[in-house]
Formats: sequence, structure tokens, C-alpha cells
Amino acid sequence: MALDFEAATRIPPKMVKIRIRRYNPETKKMWWQEYEVHAHKGMTVLDALLYIKENIDHTLGVRYSCRMGLCGSCGMNINGTPMLACQTQIAQVASGGNPVITLEPLPSFPVVKDLITEFTSFFNKHKSVKPYLIRKDTEEQETPKGHLKMKPQEFIEIFQFSNCIFCGLCYAACPVTAADPEYLGPQALMYTFRYINDVRDEGHEERFAVVDSENGCHRCHFAATCSAVCPKAVDPAGAIQALRSKLFKYRLGFYRKKGSKPLPPPPEKGERKPLPPEAMLVPGANLEQLEKEKVVISLNNK
Amino acid sequence: MGSVDKEVELKNRKGFWRESLNPWLVRAKNNPERVAYVLHRVTGFIIIAFLLAHILETDSPVWTQYAPINGLTAWSAWSYIMHVESAWYLKIGEFIVAGSVFFHALNGFRLLLTEFFGVGIGKPVEPKPPYEAPTLSAPQRTWLYIVFVLSIVLWAFSAYLIFG
Amino acid sequence: MAGKASNIQLWQYITAIMLIFLLGYHLVQRLPWLYNVSTYDQTLTSAIVYHQYRVGGWALLLLAYVALFHGLNGVRNMLFELHQGRIYNTVINVLFWIVFIVFSIIATVTVAKLPPI
Ligand code: SF4
Ligand code: SF4
Ligand code: FES
Repeated sequence: MALDFEAATRIPPKMVKIRIRRYNPETKKMWWQEYEVHAHKGMTVLDALLYIKENIDHTLGVRYSCRMGLCGSCGMNINGTPMLACQTQIAQVASGGNPVITLEPLPSFPVVKDLITEFTSFFNKHKSVKPYLIRKDTEEQETPKGHLKMKPQEFIEIFQFSNCIFCGLCYAACPVTAADPEYLGPQALMYTFRYINDVRDEGHEERFAVVDSENGCHRCHFAATCSAVCPKAVDPAGAIQALRSKLFKYRLGFYRKKGSKPLPPPPEKGERKPLPPEAMLVPGANLEQLEKEKVVISLNNK
Repeated sequence: MGSVDKEVELKNRKGFWRESLNPWLVRAKNNPERVAYVLHRVTGFIIIAFLLAHILETDSPVWTQYAPINGLTAWSAWSYIMHVESAWYLKIGEFIVAGSVFFHALNGFRLLLTEFFGVGIGKPVEPKPPYEAPTLSAPQRTWLYIVFVLSIVLWAFSAYLIFG
Repeated sequence: MAGKASNIQLWQYITAIMLIFLLGYHLVQRLPWLYNVSTYDQTLTSAIVYHQYRVGGWALLLLAYVALFHGLNGVRNMLFELHQGRIYNTVINVLFWIVFIVFSIIATVTVAKLPPI
């Protein structure tokens, strides 16, 4: 979800009610619990959860790490929308008229405890699309002699997708993942596209084989909710559609992969060039004498 | 996926119905594409149900030769069926099918452009705050609004034809 | 089978393009003023419908095949999403072909065995 700058400047209701869907793995019970928290300006949902954990109920399970939208651990369903708790202002989701915030663990993920969800299959799907550079010139990769060339615009083509923080919000929001637990999901498919789009990569054939399956990119139906909830504007929906059209091109034999060759190694270091004349000492100046002289810097110097 | 992960996954699933309700349960701002996705499925179901019935109905001049209805066969049976179907409540059904066809066709054309030809979707850009995904403001969004408007216009026109 | 998912999807798109033209033609057949009648219902009289079969019966037949394939395949794909195991998938595939073939035969019979008016 796009950032709401303006929300941070608004004043939230004094008292918010936080409704949490809790789950205890030992008793396998699920229940709803309500907490009342004093909200202040600039308070995020994660701040409120930490307040509850410290002052009201220590048993509440919540996962977080960076508190600044970088690690992707704190994803949860806030009022029915998958969002990062640390990036969501209380003022953004609660108002004086409706001071209730409903928190649920991310949908489509198994729940570990309370708001903590299990990401194993999410990361396994990510792994299954080979998220690393694949090169044919293995020798060059073992003992690299030069850099792989990449133009700035080629970098922009993959930069947006490399910004993914693996928060799983897209995966939770997608209606297809919800119905089909084996669907690779927006994040993995977006990463496939990120590597196929990378000029340095040569593994597109292997990756096309992975995504061209029953659970691959053709399961997506472009509901674009993944892009609507992504906190980093990674835009998985657009990436998947581009991936599909590339896959069709590849299957019909029109696909040409843009390549990149290692640049020749930089020239060896030669003799040091003499300094230009304007960098030389003023004729007649004595370097040793100058070094001996005291330098006095006075701040009160008039 | 290993079998253990699958077990964890299946054990913890909240049940088929709850997950199938995801299109309605998850809320996201700025996402009419999802509305289109749900409508595309629903209209698809309406159309295929109609299509199967329609094939049987248009075959009536043939099958009534072997199984007459009300003692009518061939084209006189056809006229009889058409007479029955001109009742207002069946016409409402026809009207719903017409709307479904218009939406499904127009939105399908948009999907063809975006999914197969890969046009109208956002180009990768350098991400900047407030982090708005480019696809959500790409031409496909405009096309989507055109699809909504055009199918309503065509639907109104079909109402004029069917009930007029 | 390599590329199977792509092939199915490709057929879905090909049939979609054909449907736009064929269904457009079929809908135009219901416009009353093309047949010098005043209402929609009057385009459904046996005389006009019989005439339409004689002129464009092949197009209507093609429309039936293409629409059946596109629609049933779409439903099949949605049912596959539910992942109930191998047997479930086989049953769906078999049902798909049975319904497709039976209804295609009915459509063919309609055009081939149409009684004269
Ligand atoms: S694509 Fe966006 S929503 Fe999905 S995991 Fe990456 S950062 Fe999160
Ligand atoms: S665009 Fe595809 S991956 Fe993204 S939410 Fe929609 S169906 Fe899921
Ligand atoms: S705590 Fe790291 S993303 Fe929210």
C-alpha cells in the first residue's frame, strides 16, 4: 500500500480499541481479544502492539525486527488489508468515529502463534524459481577478470523488483493463492521476472520451465491486489503479466534474450604521472621551512 | 515443496470456504482490477450455464421431432418455446446474460492485451515515495474504466432491445 | 509436458479472439431493423431463424464449438485451482471432454439435420 504521509500529521483518537485474532498453538484455540491503548500522534500499529506486550499482556505474539519497513517481518491483516504494522499509522486506520482496529495474522499463511505466520512454503516457492544469477561461463565466474556490463536503464528494469522485502503481503492478498496453495504466488513469479529481465543472467530457459507449469504464471488472473498492497511499489502484478507475455514469445520462438559480456579487465597500473604545473610548489618556497612553522588558528581573529 | 511443509500448510489452512471467500474478505484500496477479476469469473459462470442451455434450446427444431412437447414438433415447437421465453422473468435472465457477455468480452479484450501482449502495464521505474506501483496508474487502468462504462452503455442498449 | 500450461492458455486466447468476431456476428443477428421488423422478439420467428441458419449456419456452428471450448476450459482451470488430488483432476478432465463432445454433437446435429420450415 502506498505510504500515507498525511496520516502521520493527523492526530489519532485518544483511545483506540485493538481487536486481535489470537491463536494458541498448544491448546489449538483461536479467540478474539480486545485491548485499549492510549494513542498519540505518530504512533504506529506496531508501537501499539509493543505497548500492549509491555504493559498489558506479555503473552501476545508478534514478530518484528527493524520497525522501519525494511525487514518485512511485521506483515498482518489490519482492518482486512494486509499491511506492515510498523508502517501503518494509527491515525490512518482508526478515527474518532471508529476507534477499533482489527488485527489478524496474514491470510493464506499457516499461523504459528497469534500474529506470527509460517513462511516456509513462501520461501520454498521463492527458492524454486532459482533466485540467483545463472551464467554459462562458469570459469569466468570462478575467477572473474572483469565486470559484467549493465547500462543504467537496464539496471532500472530490475531495480524496482530487487526492492522486495519478502514481507508476503502480496502473497496474502492474492485471491489465487488463497484458493490454490500450490500456486507459486506473486512474489516468486515477480522474482522470476526480475532475473529473466536481468541482462547478466543466462538461466531464462530453466526459469521459464519452472513457471510454465500448472501452478505457474498462468494461474494469475491479474487482480492486481498484490501491487495494491505491496509496501515497496515492487509491482508484482505488472511483472507477472510481462513475464507471461515473455513466456508466450519464448514458446512461439520470438524471444531474444538481451545478453551482457564481461568487460575487459581494467588496465594495469602504470608509472605515476607527474603532477601538472599548477599543482607544483611556488618557486623559491622551502618545504622544510614551511613544515616547521607553527599554524595558529584563532577564532577571535578580527 | 517438501512433504513436511505441505503438512504444516494443510493443517493450518482455515478451510476451503474461508479461503475461497478471500476475494471478498481481503480489502485493498485503489484496486478496481480485483472487482473486474471477480466479475470476470462470475460472468463467465453465467455465460457457460446459459451457453449449455442455449445449445439445447436452439436444437429444439431437431429434438422435438423425436420427443414432441405439447404435441408440437420441429418449427412449431420452436415457436412455442420462443413464446414461453418471452415471459418477463425469463427476459430478465436474458438481460443478465447480455450484460455478462458485454463485460466478459470487453474485459477479456483488456486481459488479452495486458497478459498476452504485455502492453498497458507499468514500466519499471525508480521507486520513490509514496511507493505507488506503476501498473496501478498504467493505461490498463484507463482501459478498465472504459470497459466498465462501455459495458454499462451496451447493457442499457440491450435492455432497450429486450424489453422495448 | 513442457509448455502445456502455455499451450492451454494460448488456445484460450485464440478462442477469445475468434469469439469476439463470431459472437459479434451472432449478436448483430438480433438487431430488429436489419430484418425490417420492429422488435427483438420478432427476430426470433422461425422464418428469420431458419434463414439465418441457411446463410450463416457454419459460423454459428463454429461459434458453438469455440464458445464451448473457451467456457468449459475456463471452468476446468478454476476447478483445478482447488487441488483435491490426482483422481479429482482426472475426473475433471474426463468430464470436460464428455460435456464438450456431447454438446458439440448436439450443436452439429442442429445445423446438419435442421428440418425445412
Ligand atoms: S513483492 Fe512487495 S508485497 Fe510482495 S513480498 Fe515483496 S515487498 Fe512484500
Ligand atoms: S495479479 Fe496475479 S499474483 Fe497478483 S494478486 Fe492478482 S492473481 Fe494474484
Ligand atoms: S518491523 Fe521490519 S518491516 Fe515492520
